Amino acid sequence: MPDWKAEVKARLAGLSLAPAREMEIADELTQHLEDEYEQALSRGVSEDEAERAVLADLKVPNLLARELKRVERPVLQNPVAMGTQAKSNVIGDLGQDLRYGLRILAKNRAFTAIAVLALALGIGANSAIFSVVNAILLRPLPYKNPEQLVMVWENATHLGFPKNTPSPANFLDWRQQTTVFQGIAAFAERSFNLTGAGEPERLDGRRVSANFFDVLGVRTIIGRTFVPQEDQPGTKVVLLNENLWKRRFGGDPSVIGRAVTLNNEAYTVVGVVPNSVRLPAFGKWRDQVWVPIAFPAEESASRGDHFLEVIARLKPNVTLAQARAEMETIAARLAHQYPQYNARVGAAVNPLHEEIVGDMKVALWILLGAVAFVLLIACANVANLLLARAAVRQKEIALRLALGADRVRLTKQLLVESVMLSLLGGVVGLGLAYAGLQVLTRFIPPDLVHADMIAIDGKVLVFTLLIALVTGLIFGLAPASQASHFNLSETLKEGGRDSGAGARGKRLRSSLVIAEVAVSVVLLIGAGLLINSFMHLRNLDPGFRADHLLALSLNLSEVKYPDTARRTAFFDEVVRRVQPLPGVQSVAVAGNLPFTYNGDSMSIAVEGIPDPPPDQWPDVIYRAIGPGYFSTMGIPLVRGREFTDGDTLDTTRGVVIGEKTAKHYWPNQDPIGKRLKPGARSDNETPWRTVIGVVKDVRQNDFIAEPKMQMYFSYKQVGQLVANALIVRTSVDPLSLAMPVRNAIWSVDKDQPVANIDSMENIVAGAVARQRFSMLLLANFAALALVLAAVGIYGVMSYTVAQQTREIGIRIALGAKRGDVLKMTVKQAIKLVGLGLAIGLPSAFILTRVMSTLLFGISATDPITFLGISLAVLAVALLASYIPALRATKVDPMIALRAQ
Amino acid sequence: MASPGLDRELKKGSAELLILSLVEDRPRHGYDIGQLIELRSRGALRFNVASLYPLLYRLEKRGWIRGRWVEKAGQRRRRYYRLTPAGKKVLASQRDGWLEFVEAIGRITGIQYA
Repeated sequence: MPDWKAEVKARLAGLSLAPAREMEIADELTQHLEDEYEQALSRGVSEDEAERAVLADLKVPNLLARELKRVERPVLQNPVAMGTQAKSNVIGDLGQDLRYGLRILAKNRAFTAIAVLALALGIGANSAIFSVVNAILLRPLPYKNPEQLVMVWENATHLGFPKNTPSPANFLDWRQQTTVFQGIAAFAERSFNLTGAGEPERLDGRRVSANFFDVLGVRTIIGRTFVPQEDQPGTKVVLLNENLWKRRFGGDPSVIGRAVTLNNEAYTVVGVVPNSVRLPAFGKWRDQVWVPIAFPAEESASRGDHFLEVIARLKPNVTLAQARAEMETIAARLAHQYPQYNARVGAAVNPLHEEIVGDMKVALWILLGAVAFVLLIACANVANLLLARAAVRQKEIALRLALGADRVRLTKQLLVESVMLSLLGGVVGLGLAYAGLQVLTRFIPPDLVHADMIAIDGKVLVFTLLIALVTGLIFGLAPASQASHFNLSETLKEGGRDSGAGARGKRLRSSLVIAEVAVSVVLLIGAGLLINSFMHLRNLDPGFRADHLLALSLNLSEVKYPDTARRTAFFDEVVRRVQPLPGVQSVAVAGNLPFTYNGDSMSIAVEGIPDPPPDQWPDVIYRAIGPGYFSTMGIPLVRGREFTDGDTLDTTRGVVIGEKTAKHYWPNQDPIGKRLKPGARSDNETPWRTVIGVVKDVRQNDFIAEPKMQMYFSYKQVGQLVANALIVRTSVDPLSLAMPVRNAIWSVDKDQPVANIDSMENIVAGAVARQRFSMLLLANFAALALVLAAVGIYGVMSYTVAQQTREIGIRIALGAKRGDVLKMTVKQAIKLVGLGLAIGLPSAFILTRVMSTLLFGISATDPITFLGISLAVLAVALLASYIPALRATKVDPMIALRAQ
Repeated sequence: MASPGLDRELKKGSAELLILSLVEDRPRHGYDIGQLIELRSRGALRFNVASLYPLLYRLEKRGWIRGRWVEKAGQRRRRYYRLTPAGKKVLASQRDGWLEFVEAIGRITGIQYA
C-alpha cells in the first residue's frame, strides 16, 4: 500500500500548522485515502489503477492547502505542543506551565491537600518563629541610633557579680571622667503610690538623671523632659507614661502643669513619654512614671550602696572596645583611689540590645534552626510524595519525551508545579503562623522587652515568600532530576511498571528517609535536652514551699508612715485582720520576695573575725521580714528561733542567717549568740546584731544560680522602710483569697495601694519563664518533626513494600515463611534508620553544643538523652515499616503474582 | 456527472446543508459522508478529499458539528462528526432558506418538481 500519510503531509507542509493539529489532519485524510484505496481494490481494480484514482483527488495543485488555509490558522511562532521547544518564550512558557500545573493540582485533590498541609506546617512554623526573631532580634530598638546605646556596670566578678549595679559616687566619677560618651545617665527603680482621684494604685517608676531621655533620644508626646536644674533634691516634677496618661487622665493635654499625688506628695506633671520607652527590668516591672534621680548628699557620697543602672550613648566614632578600654581605666583609677570599696572592681560596657535580648538570642536562633529542620523534613515528605506520583505520571512523561519534548523544558515545568505547591503551602502556613503566634505570645517571658511588637509584618511576608520559593525548588528537584534522567526505552521495556522503582528512584527515596531520620534525631535530642534541663529546674528546691502561698506588694508611703513605730502599727493591724479570714493559715510581713527583686546585698563585719582584705569582702543578701515569715514561707529553721513580736527597737537587735553564711563564718561552731554588723566595722552608728537563728538558704534573685550568703532582720528593728510585701499561707486556692485580703488591708488604710497579687507558684514559674519558653517551643517543634518524619518513613516503606508485592508473592509461593519476609522488609527499614542515626547522632553531638548555655543540670552530650531518643526514633521507624510489611505478607501469592 | 461549473456553484451554496443533514440523525466519519453524498446524489455530487475536509473543519470551527476520535472494536480509529445544538438550529434555518430558494427558482423558470 502506498504511503498515504507522506502524500498528505507533503501537501500540508506549507501551512505551518501546529504540529498536533497537523498530525490530526494527516491522520484523518490518510484514513480517508486508505478507505478509498481499499474500496477501489474491492471493486477489482488493479493496485496501480486504484492508487492513481485515489491520488487524482489530490492532483489539483494546492487545492487542499488553499482550502485548508481558509479554515486553519497557522502558528505564528513555533509549535505549541507542551514541552517541545528547545528555545522558547520564557513568559509564554511560564503561563502555560502555570495553567498546566493548576490543572494537575486540581485533578489530584488528595495529593495536593496532603502536600500543602505538610508544607504549611513547615513554612508556618518558620514564619511564626521568624516573626519572633524579627521583633526581638532584628528590629532596631525604638530609640535614636540605638546601636550607640550601651549599659555600663561595675564588674565585681570576684564576688559573683559580673554586672553589679553601680553606686552613686562611682557613677558620678564615671560621668566626670569619661570622654567616650555623648551622654551618660543613671536610673533606679522606685515605686509610687498614686492617690487622690479614683482607686489608690501602685505605680512602677524610676528615678532618672535629668539627661536620661536625651541619652535615649526620646521626645515627649506633650510637654518636656527634665532640665538639669530639676536634678536637685526637693524638686517634685514627674513625667507620665502614655498609657497612664490615657488611662488615668483621659489623654488630656492640660495635665501638663497639674499636680498629682505620689507617695502623699504633690508632683507637677511636666510631660508625657511614649509607650515605646521600655528598659530592661526585673520580672513584670513596667515604668509608668519618672522623677529626677536628684541624689541627696548622703547618696551621692555613697560608694557601697549599689542600686543604680547606667545607660550611655557612645560618641559617633567611638567603638565599643574603645569605650570598654576607657571605662576599665577609670575603674582601675577608682579602685586605686577607694580600695575599701572598689578594689578589683572593673567596669562592663554592653550594648543595650544585648542587655535586653540576653540569652533569648541563643534560644531564638536555635529555634529558627529547629523550624528550618522541621521544614526540611516536610520537604523530604513532599519530595517523596512527588516521586511516588512521578511514577504514576511516567506514561505522560514518556509520551511527551517521545513527542520531542526537551528535558530542560520538562524539568522546568515540574519545578513550576512544585513551586506552586509550596506557595500554596506558604499561604496556608501564614494562617497557621498567625494562629500559632496567638498561642505563643502567651508564653513570652514577661521581662522580654518589645515582645509586644511580635506580628506578621512585611518582613515576615517576604521571608515566607522566599522560603516558600526555596522550599518548592528543593523538594521539586528530586523528582525533576529524576525526570531528566528518565530512560525512555527502559520505561517501555518495563512494560508500564514503575521505573521509579528502578535503582535510581530507590536510592533517592532511601536517602530521603535517611535524611529525615537524621534531621529528626538532631531536633529530638535538642528538645530532649531542653525538657530534661527544665525538669531539673522545676525540681530545684527554691528553699521554701511555693504552694498555697499568696503574695502581694504593699509599698507604704514614707510621708504617711515616716517611722518604724507607725509602720509596725500598720502592719500589725493588717496581720491581725487577715489572720482570721477563712482559708488563711498564717500571714507574715515580708521584704522583697524571692524572684521579685534583684538587689539588696551588703558586706558585713563579724565580731571576733578580722576583716578580709577589701577586695574579698563578702556580699550578703539581706531581707527585712516580720514575725512568722519563715513558718509562713515554709523555710526550714535549722537552729535557734524566728523573730517574734517581742523583737523590737527596744530589745537586742537580732539577725537570722542562712546556712551558707553560718558555714562561712562559723564552720564548726554554733553561730547562735555570735554577733555581726551590717556594713563597715568602723561604723559606730550601726549596732551589732546577735544571731538568733539559722535557716535553710533560699534562692533569692536567680532561680538557677546556687543560693548566695543571706541574712534576715526584723523590719521592726530597722530604721529604714524595708518591708514591702505580705505573704499568706492558705488552706485553699491562694488566689481565691486575693479580694478578701485586699479588703482587709483597705479596712486599715483605704488609700493603701495593693499590687502584684499573685500566687508564689506563679512567681516561681515566672522565674523560669525564659527556660519554659524555649523548652515549650522546641519540644513542640520536635514533636511536629517526629510526626512528619514518621509519616514520611511510613509512606516510603509502604510504597517500597508495595513495589515488592510481586517479589514477596514469588517468595511465598516458593515456600518462604511469612516471618522471613517480614524480617526482610523490617531489616531494610532498620538499615535506613541505622544510617539516619549514624548521621544524626554525631550531628546532634556537634549541634547541641551551641545550646549548652540554655541547659541546666545536664550536659549537652547527656548519654541517656542520646540513647533514649535513638531508641524512640528506631521504635517509630520500626512501627512505620512493620505495618506495611505485615500487610505485604498477608497478600495472596496468586494476586501478588498477577499484580503487574 | 454535472458540469464542473454547475458543480462548483451548487456545492458552494449547498455543501454545508448537505453535510449538516447527513450528520443529523447520527455521527458519521468523513469518508462515510463523502460516500453518502455521492451515493444519494447518484453520482451527481462528489466531494473531493481536498474540499470535503476543509469544509468539515470550517463547520466544526463554527461550532455546528463536532468531531471526535472513536475506536470501535475491529475497526480503525476514525473521526466521527455529530451535529451540535447550534448546528441543529442552523440546519433548520438553512433547510427553510433552501426550500424558499428552490421554490423561487421554480416559479421563475417554470421547472416543476417531479
